[in-house]
Amino acid sequence: MRVDDGETVREGRVVDARALALSRADAVAAIRGDGAAVAVACPEPGAAHERVGEVYPELSVSIRGALAAAARSRGHTAPQDDRIAEIESELAALTVPDVSTRPARADVADRADAVERLDERVAELRGRVQALRERDAETDAVETELAAAMRALTEARTDLIAARENHDAATETARAARDARERRMVLEDRLANRRRAAREALADTIADEYRDAVAAAPWATPADPFEVDDVTAVLAAARVADLRAPVVLSCDRFDGPAMAADWLDAEVLRL
Amino acid sequence: MLLVVTYSRAARQTLRNACEAHEETVVRRLGRAALFEETEFGAFLALRLRAEYGVDVQVERTDPLNEFEAVPEGVREAAEAYADREHASTPYAKFAAGDDHPDPAAMKDREL
Repeated sequence: MRVDDGETVREGRVVDARALALSRADAVAAIRGDGAAVAVACPEPGAAHERVGEVYPELSVSIRGALAAAARSRGHTAPQDDRIAEIESELAALTVPDVSTRPARADVADRADAVERLDERVAELRGRVQALRERDAETDAVETELAAAMRALTEARTDLIAARENHDAATETARAARDARERRMVLEDRLANRRRAAREALADTIADEYRDAVAAAPWATPADPFEVDDVTAVLAAARVADLRAPVVLSCDRFDGPAMAADWLDAEVLRL
Repeated sequence: MLLVVTYSRAARQTLRNACEAHEETVVRRLGRAALFEETEFGAFLALRLRAEYGVDVQVERTDPLNEFEAVPEGVREAAEAYADREHASTPYAKFAAGDDHPDPAAMKDREL
């Protein structure tokens, strides 16, 4: 690898960058080809780098997940792979119509409000006409107003009926569109199950090698390799994996970065 | 009651969490669906799901069915008679044709 932070260039199978002001996030991003803070020229990271290519004291890991990634990097496949690809392409091909009934719902409520308001207005005007008549007063002006309000009420009622019909139709369409959503969820559940099974199957393929790696660690480890601390688990998985790109290492488990590179059988960028 | 049905994994998970957190408002949990009390809080729970997941959340307002009020007598009697049929394997269409019960296709065309 070749690390260039703009001031210093360091090259080799092992680069000790502890003296440089280089953050782990920047280093990892540079290795994975999506960072600009520092330039790291190295082989393209493979399937396992994301899971086991970065080791630091606080990390937490799913051991089976890391082992599955390590197995993939070694070219192992899972019996579920074909079915997973099928489900993925079925999901990609699925069109899920986005039908919201929200505008129709709001419209019905607005129209109903308008009807209620006009209803009250008509009642009030009727009352006023009645009162004027009882006093033998002039009613023409109020009656004109009443007639206008009644026309508006009729219109508003028609609008409300139309809005309700529109809402019913939108609700029907939304119900039908949910069939596609239902199908999508079924496929996503199935996909998650298959992926889980594939992860287990892949992890099994290298479980013995992982056990040996844990036992070969130059520090004390428990007998059960699935009871080890997370850093040990990731390092052992990294040893088993085919990493190609450098491991970004910021922990003190080895007697120097060169030892780490030997043990991991990978390039090491020590931070 | 308020029936809330979810149509995505994320919405289903949030519904589960809401049901865990608000047992007093949950009348029944049905996998990826739930029945909430018809209270403002029940509506609040339903609407916050809909606000977050849009069309992936269906909210319906349910009512108990009083068949004596809403269902024609012929249909009620047919249901009782069919439940009490002699041969479990008789499909309803055949059963209805033999006796004087409503035809299933005709029933499908008539709204309650």
